[in-house]
Order: sequence, then C-alpha cells, then structure tokens
Amino acid sequence: MEQTTAVPIQLQPRERPKRKFRRNFWGYLFVLPAIVIFALFLWYPIVKGLMDSLYKIDFVKGDSFVGFDNYRTVFNDPDVRIAVKNTLKYMGLGIVIGFWVPILFAIMISEMRKFQGFARVAAYLPYVVPFVVLYGVWRWMYDPVGPINQVIKSFGIDPVLFMVDKAWAMPAIVIMETWQSFGSAMLIYLAAVLSIPRDWYEASEIDGAGVWQRIRHITLPAIKNQILLLLMLQLIATSQGFQTQYAMLDGGPNNATLTYALLLTRYAFVRQDYGVASAMGVIMFFALVILAIIQYRLNRNGGID
Amino acid sequence: MRKITSVISVLMAASLVLAACGSNNNNGNAASSSAPAAATPASSPADTGSAAPADDPTQVKATISIYFPTPDKVQERKLEDDKIARFNQVYPNVEIIKSDWQYNPNEIGIKMGANEAPTLFNTYATEGKFLVEKGWAADITELWNSYEKKDQFNKTLSSQFIIDGKVYGIPQRGYITATVVNTKMLKDKGIAPPPFNWTWDDMLNTAKAAADPNAGISGFAPMGKGNEAGWNWTNFLFAAGGDIQTVDSKVTAAFNSDAGLKAIEFYNKLKWEANAIPQDWALGWGDAVGAFAQGRTAMVIAGASDPVDQALNQGGMSPSDIEVYPNAAAPGGSHAGIIGGDFLVINPNASKDEQAMAFRYAVFDYFNDDFLTSLDANIEARKAENKYFIPPVFEYFDMTSEFGQKVKAVYEKHDNVYQYKQEFLDLLDAKLEAQYNTQDYYAAMTNVIQEVFSKQGVDMKASLDATAKTVQEKFYDTIQL
Repeated sequence: MEQTTAVPIQLQPRERPKRKFRRNFWGYLFVLPAIVIFALFLWYPIVKGLMDSLYKIDFVKGDSFVGFDNYRTVFNDPDVRIAVKNTLKYMGLGIVIGFWVPILFAIMISEMRKFQGFARVAAYLPYVVPFVVLYGVWRWMYDPVGPINQVIKSFGIDPVLFMVDKAWAMPAIVIMETWQSFGSAMLIYLAAVLSIPRDWYEASEIDGAGVWQRIRHITLPAIKNQILLLLMLQLIATSQGFQTQYAMLDGGPNNATLTYALLLTRYAFVRQDYGVASAMGVIMFFALVILAIIQYRLNRNGGID
Repeated sequence: MRKITSVISVLMAASLVLAACGSNNNNGNAASSSAPAAATPASSPADTGSAAPADDPTQVKATISIYFPTPDKVQERKLEDDKIARFNQVYPNVEIIKSDWQYNPNEIGIKMGANEAPTLFNTYATEGKFLVEKGWAADITELWNSYEKKDQFNKTLSSQFIIDGKVYGIPQRGYITATVVNTKMLKDKGIAPPPFNWTWDDMLNTAKAAADPNAGISGFAPMGKGNEAGWNWTNFLFAAGGDIQTVDSKVTAAFNSDAGLKAIEFYNKLKWEANAIPQDWALGWGDAVGAFAQGRTAMVIAGASDPVDQALNQGGMSPSDIEVYPNAAAPGGSHAGIIGGDFLVINPNASKDEQAMAFRYAVFDYFNDDFLTSLDANIEARKAENKYFIPPVFEYFDMTSEFGQKVKAVYEKHDNVYQYKQEFLDLLDAKLEAQYNTQDYYAAMTNVIQEVFSKQGVDMKASLDATAKTVQEKFYDTIQL
C-alpha cells in the first residue's frame, strides 16, 4: 500500500495593503466618481438635513441650536395636518384614477395587430410635452368655457369648475398628470407583456380561453412583479408631489391642493424658515424609508427585477 | 440591492434642497472677505480703504455686478445698456457685470447664503424691513447723506427704505394700484363708463352688466390664486378705511376690523350676487392681467402701468379702448390704492469701494439731462416698433419738481407715450403696505378669499377673526420692536 505523506498546507502570506491598493488601483479609480457623487449629493444632504432640523438657520448671523423646537412647530401647525391629508388623498387618487391606465393601454396595444408602433408613440407623446405648455393647455381644458365643459354642457349639465371647486381640484390634477405620464409606465408594462411566451396564449386559446380569461390568468400574473414595483414607485413619487399643485393652483382653492411637499417648500422659500423645512424633510424621509423597505421586501420575496 | 439604492436616491433628491439651504451659515462672519466671485478680482486690498474714492472716484478700480432687467423688459434693457456705456466713460476702471437675477423673496436667502447676490440688486418696497432684519441690505446712510440731490427724491418712496434713521435703499420707481377698465367693451355692450370718482356700487353695477359668464367674460377679475389674492383684496380693505396692522409697542392684526368685513362682503357680493367674477377665479397676477389684455374681463386691479402695457403692447388695444381709474371708493371711504415700488439695494458683502461705486451707478442718471436724451431716444425706438411707452405713475423724483417738468415735456413730445388722466391722478389716495410679515398676511387672507369664493354663506366675520388670530399668534407676536 502506497503510503502517502501529508503535505503541509502552505498558507498564503497576507497581501500587503500597499500592494493590494496598487493591484486594484484602476478599480478604485472607476468607483471614485460614483462615491464622490453619492457622498456629495446623497449622504451629505441627508446628514445636513438631519442637523439643520435641530437648528434655527440664519445665513448671516449664524445658526443656533433649538433642539426639537422645529419638530414641535411642525406637529403644532394645523396646515401640516391638512397637507398630510391632502397628500394621502393625492396618493390614493393617483392609484384609483391613474394607476391602472398604463396597464390597460399596454394590454390593448399588445393585442393590436396593426399600428402598434404608432399607438406606442402616440401614448408616449404627452410625456415629452413641456410642463409650462401642459399647464396652459389643461387650464384651458378645465376652463368653464373650455372643451370639457362644452361637452358637459351639451348634455344639459352645469359646467364643472374643476380648478376652483374643492372637491374637483385634486382629481383634476391627477387626471391631468395621468394623461401626461401614463405613456412612460406603459412602455415598461408593454415590454413585460410582450415578453410573455406566445405559446402560453396559443395553448389557452386551444383550451377555449377568451380575451378576458387570457388577461386574467396569463397576462396579469406574468406582469405582477412590474405592477408591484411601479405601484411602490408611484406611491413614493406622489407622496412628494408639489409641482403641479404649485403651478396650477398654488395649493388652493382653500388649501384643497396643499400637499406636504408644497408646504415644505413654503416653509423653506416663502417663510425662509429652513429649520422647520428641514424637520419636515426629515419626517418625510422616515415615512419614505418605510415605503422603500416595503418595496425592498417585495423585491426580495417576489423577485422583482 | 441596486434597485433599493436607486429608489433611495430618488427619495433623497428632495434632501438636496435642504443641503443647498444650509450650506453656508457663517456668511456674516466672512462678509468682508467674501464678496461675490465676479466682484472679487478688482477689489484688491490696495483699492480697499485707499484714498482714491475720496480724491478721485473716477480712478477707482472695482468690479460691480448690477441688476439688469429681464429680456421681456425691452425698453428698460436698452436704457440700462446705454447707462452702462455712459457710466464707463466717467468711471473707466469700473467693470460692470450684468446680473440676470431678479429679486425674488424665495431666492434671496439662497443667493445671500451662497454669496451670489449682485452688488446692486433690485427689490420691492415691502422687502425693506425684512432685508434689514436679515442683514441683507447695506447701510448706505453715509453715501446717501453725501449725495447732493438727496432732497429731491420722492419722499413717499424713499421713506420706505429709511429705517430707524438709516438708509438702506434707493428708490427707482413707484406704482400705485388702480383699476384699469376696458371702456371699449363697456361701450360695445351699451354700458356707460363710470365716473372717475366712482363708488363700490358703481363698480358692482358695471361689473354685473359687463359680465357674460357663458362666454367666459367677467366684469371684474380679482386675483384669487396665491398671495396676490390677498394683495388684490387689500385695495378694498384700504378703500374701506381699514389697515392691515397697527404698530405701537407691538404689531397687532387690524384687518378683521369693520372695514375688513365690508371689503370681504363686497367680494362676496361680486361673486354671489352679481356673478361678475370669472367662474374660474383661481387667477394669478399674470392670469388676471392677461385676461384683461385678451378682453376676457372688463376690469382688473394691478399696478396701473402693467395692465396698460399688456393691453396696448401685447393685446393690440389702443389707448382709447381703456381707461385707468382710481380704485372705487367704499361708502365713506376713499379711492385708496396700494403704493409700492422698485428699489435698489446694495449687497452688504461688497467692499466699501464696490458699495460706493454701486451707489454712484444707481444714481448716475438721476436728475441728469443725459437721462432725458436717452429716454427720448428710447421712446422714439419704441415708436419705430409700433409700441407704446408706459411711464410709471410715480417716479423717484417729484413730478412737480424742475426735473419732473423736463421729463413731462419729453413724454408730451411723443404720441406713443401713454398719458394718465389728471382726474385719475388727482383722486389717488396712496396707502403703504404693511412692513411686517406682509406676505404671511397675504397668504392667510388668500385662504379667506378662496373660502368666500368657493362657498356661499360663509361666516365672514368669524373667518376674518380666526385668520387675524392665526396671523397674530404665528407671526406678529414673535416680532420684537
């Protein structure tokens, strides 16, 4: 029997840091811009925002530490409660009115046998309309003598005062934004729908499935992950909404479109109270972190990619 | 993981705003050494504190950045270019950099924090107290007192920036709010234009008769969106004899007085009794003035020259189509209009030489015959473009002074200069805006106005009282006099 002798394992000597750095030099160099950008535009602002929320900010005389006074101001301001309520309403309306539109269009376009390319471009076009033009056009669309009200009046119904009726102001904004932005989400859904193997549909057709059954049992389950991802992204985006509310109605009528982010900008840029604005930003940050964690969990469990 | 990172990066974009806000909190300490970047090179230590300014100011080397009118203000830009050329003939060593930044209350904090405000920047009458409290306006008392023509300024205007005996701003021009009426529209509808000394009843009746809601035409377009809504309504408060606030040992809200109630009740009548305001009343300043120029409203209240400018130069109307009225008087009140104006303020971060040169630049054309020549040429140029020249209602000088008469002669020489009627000028009752937390008051009143316009039967007294209480507790009680 052949005898084998154990060969002692030669432990690799630890690479010296200098040598390791030299070996990875180009790698570090490629990562550097990303680190600088992240540090400058992401992590530093977060830390700075947290710090500022504890100070009374004064550019000339210098900042003074005020503890949690800014947070007290936020929690005691009745406008904040209105703004939170409006923001939740805006987020909710965004889902009820707008969320399903790109899904519907993606499925419709995927079913088209002709003019699919044209339909894609047509649906995406509103997304490239500049905001200034968009707001001008929709103010006219919603005008009491504008085209929408002309149609409404032709049915003998009183015109709807979209911009000044408290009940209509927020839905009107959501409808406008849906029209403007559904094309972008639709392209994502469309890519997902078109990637579903055609033989699944052929098999279902052989089994006698109709259009609705195909959509319900094949299409929707297949794009479930995209739906969840875009739902979370929409919630995150709408929770920060203020641009349209500001440009179209400046939070009116009677605070009906005053969102949390709009109130935050008012504290910062109208009242020049950057401390309270920072406190509002920090509170918002933590609320959004919760949404981000949910999205992360869904990502992990559902395999969203 | 990449996804979550990118999502968080989206979330954090808002935080950038916060960082921008707080990036420089030691500005005051660094004020003397951190003049605007553009101004720094020429202000070497050799210049600063040298005897040059006192001995021969024409030899001073300095770089100053100045407020330059925005591209839409064609006639003002031409005047300013001409002024720069003439200034450089006298002060050849002064480099002038045009700043396209227009004063904005929302941006001044950032500009000052980042040390990017021009050496000489424009601002409004209401901003005086605010800028001084923040330390964002240089004390120019010494420069002002050594200016030989200081006594010829329009005192109503200049007093706006004299605070506790110190001077912080130089008046440029003033405005007074007035009601501009589309008299052609009235005549076309068979409505007799009201007399100049009109009342609220006249205004209500005229607005009611001119309104045609089905055609989208209103009798009167009050501003209803944003802070300008409160500003517009304040004209009615003043016309009823009311005030925004009283100032003695403390600042007290006064807009919930009987006069305030009358004024808001008049708004209520315009909306619910006369149906004379636009159905979509969420109009900003531009929307309301634009509606007037487009013939979608018979009346609008704004600084008198602005609707005239838009109607004549953009709306294609002729001077005979419109008339500038003083604001209608309330029963027992006056034809009060809000007086405001444009002022020039010097950046306190600039060096002494730069401040002195900025002051010289600001008053370079004041009371000066060269300005008359330039003005004359500018009016001619406007005429060649088939445009009207709309002078401000108030100048920095008194129109009855010798210099004022010279300017008047230039205006009368041209047929494309809009002439305000003497009846209008005689009836004007100028009321100054509040100097404390004016924008906060406007914002609070905007809510009341929107409530009245949105809902019939609002308890207006209760609403005014509640708003006054909020403004008092939130803003006025924090002011230390």
